[in-house]
Amino acid sequence: MSKPPLIAIVDDDDAVREAIRDLLQVEGLAARTFESGTAFLSAAEHFDCLVTDVRMPDLDGIEIQRRLRAGGSAMPVIFVTSSADENTRVRALQGGAVAWFAKPLTDATFLAAIRAVLR
Amino acid sequence: MASGAPLADMPALPDASEPGDAEMRRFDAACWALDISGVRTLIAAAAAGTARSDWPETLLVGVRIADVNQRTVHLVGPYLGRAHMIGRAAATFWPREGRPALAELIVSVAMAETAGTPASRTITSVGFIDPLLHVWRAPDDARPDIVYVALTGTPVDDRSLWALRASEERYRNLIHHLPTALLQVDSTPMSAIFAKLRLEGVDDIASYLDANPEMSVHSRNIVLVTDANHKAMRLFGADHPDQLIGSVDYLFVASPDTAKRVITAHFEGRRSYAERIKLRRFDGRLRDVELSVTYPTPPERLDVTLLSLEDLTDRLQTEAQLHQLQADYTRAARISMLGELATSIAHEVNQPLSAIVTNAETSLRWLSRDEPNLAKVRQLTTRIAESGRRASDIVQRIRGMAARREPERVRVDLNAIVEEALLFVRYEIESRAVEVSVSLARELPRVLGDRVQLQQVIVNLLVNAVQAIGQTGGAGRIELRTAKGGDGTVRFTLHDNGPGIAEGNLDRIFGSFFTTKDEGIGIGLALCQSIIVAHGGTITASNHAEGGAVFEFALPARGAA
Repeated sequence: MSKPPLIAIVDDDDAVREAIRDLLQVEGLAARTFESGTAFLSAAEHFDCLVTDVRMPDLDGIEIQRRLRAGGSAMPVIFVTSSADENTRVRALQGGAVAWFAKPLTDATFLAAIRAVLR
Repeated sequence: MASGAPLADMPALPDASEPGDAEMRRFDAACWALDISGVRTLIAAAAAGTARSDWPETLLVGVRIADVNQRTVHLVGPYLGRAHMIGRAAATFWPREGRPALAELIVSVAMAETAGTPASRTITSVGFIDPLLHVWRAPDDARPDIVYVALTGTPVDDRSLWALRASEERYRNLIHHLPTALLQVDSTPMSAIFAKLRLEGVDDIASYLDANPEMSVHSRNIVLVTDANHKAMRLFGADHPDQLIGSVDYLFVASPDTAKRVITAHFEGRRSYAERIKLRRFDGRLRDVELSVTYPTPPERLDVTLLSLEDLTDRLQTEAQLHQLQADYTRAARISMLGELATSIAHEVNQPLSAIVTNAETSLRWLSRDEPNLAKVRQLTTRIAESGRRASDIVQRIRGMAARREPERVRVDLNAIVEEALLFVRYEIESRAVEVSVSLARELPRVLGDRVQLQQVIVNLLVNAVQAIGQTGGAGRIELRTAKGGDGTVRFTLHDNGPGIAEGNLDRIFGSFFTTKDEGIGIGLALCQSIIVAHGGTITASNHAEGGAVFEFALPARGAA
């Protein structure tokens, strides 16, 4: 039996981070949370998918994705953000993002995207 | 003799160089030559009994001084000199109480068929013992328009008692026409009371008055207003000066405690006392007034205590309007600032809302299972409540920034204000990848101030710093620090690594409408300064030795942390 997929969640906001983790948990998906990109990158190899905020004080989501790609990782990245900035969205997708969600999340769509990525 | 010469230089009387004609030397006395040419009609009317009742006064205003001898100058006009008396109205120098007698004698002499014989009359004291007034025309009517006047008797005072009277008259005139409301008060009854109290060993009059409130009431009744000027009449809305004469009680109706303090200052031997009081006019309206009391000390007349009342109502209203205008302006700037920070604020509110929505949806998923996981739902509901409160707190703070309210002065913690201010600009800071380090002093004393306005200052400084850093393009850094100043102040310092302030702009950076931004209107820093100054503090701008700008403000510390 193969190892169940593991999802990483990066967000500097505790409440948002935990809410996403719990949503994944109710659907039987395992997730770990990180409050900064630096903390996540040091353990990135353990994860099958990344859910990240865009604007954060340490590294922003775009930069985390860039470093993953630079390190040769093809890990699917899903952005969840309050920002409606179109430029940032384009940069994220150009950098290889698989999905982009605005906060607050619509649970069904978000979960469908996660499942599609992990399939 | 030159006019205005000092008294000591006056020649002994009588003097050989005495001016005037022979008639002026008929009596060894104060002599006048009065020109009655301008009042002939009035003299005739007075003689016929058809003149108005106040004709003596009118007559002496119309009678001009043609000449006076040195003795008259000495008695009446030493400050003016003879030259300046000539040509002026007799009424200017003749004491009020002697005027009817003089006027009547002038009429009788002017109407008499024969000239030369003086008409004489004893008059009530005008500075002489047994004063006798003599009025006559020259024997041959050589000068038909001239009436001579002499006043004999022993002067009560070798110096000029009439001059003293004139001086008092001038003083009364001055007092009555001063633009400040004045009450002349006889507080001599208080001297007896004070003496008695001292005999009884009372030395702390304030405590005594607190313990014996009836004493203040009694004093307000026995101390009398003896005179009031026109302005005082107007201030109280009196129709007649008599309405102000009598017990001083009416002055303290709206500020009863003031009487205690006025008595205390008097008892303690102070020269004057002043305070701002509420004054009730006779029509019931209240006015804000600055009351100043000047207590007499010898050789001044001890029955003359002067109270001046300056009406501040209009000024205070203007000040209040100005204050309101400033508050409105400050608020408008805050709302404008909130507008600039809308994205940042929206982000701050959206975070907890986002958590709430996701937690609620997750809860529904747990509940819709065949076996609902109530423990999970309980945990998520708790988090929903927490996030809801957080969102509400943020909204409250924004509302606080936007609300129309009176600036307040309460003890506030500057550290907390810095943290709250950061909330408004966190998104700006993060979106521009600016690194902020915050170093808050422990046990920082509180300051007395308005939380919202101080937050406004810090947010303003932060936004400026973030924008300044944006001009450099490098990695931004802002250091915020609070500290206890050695001079009893609490200090806030912001140091950024932006381009700093051009040397030529350092002096005018806090001026209104000074800006280096393309879209700025230059009110931010001016407003920061006016807020800090209104808090009794100071704000400075400088360039750091290692680059970047430093903004620092200091506020007076008020009490422990």
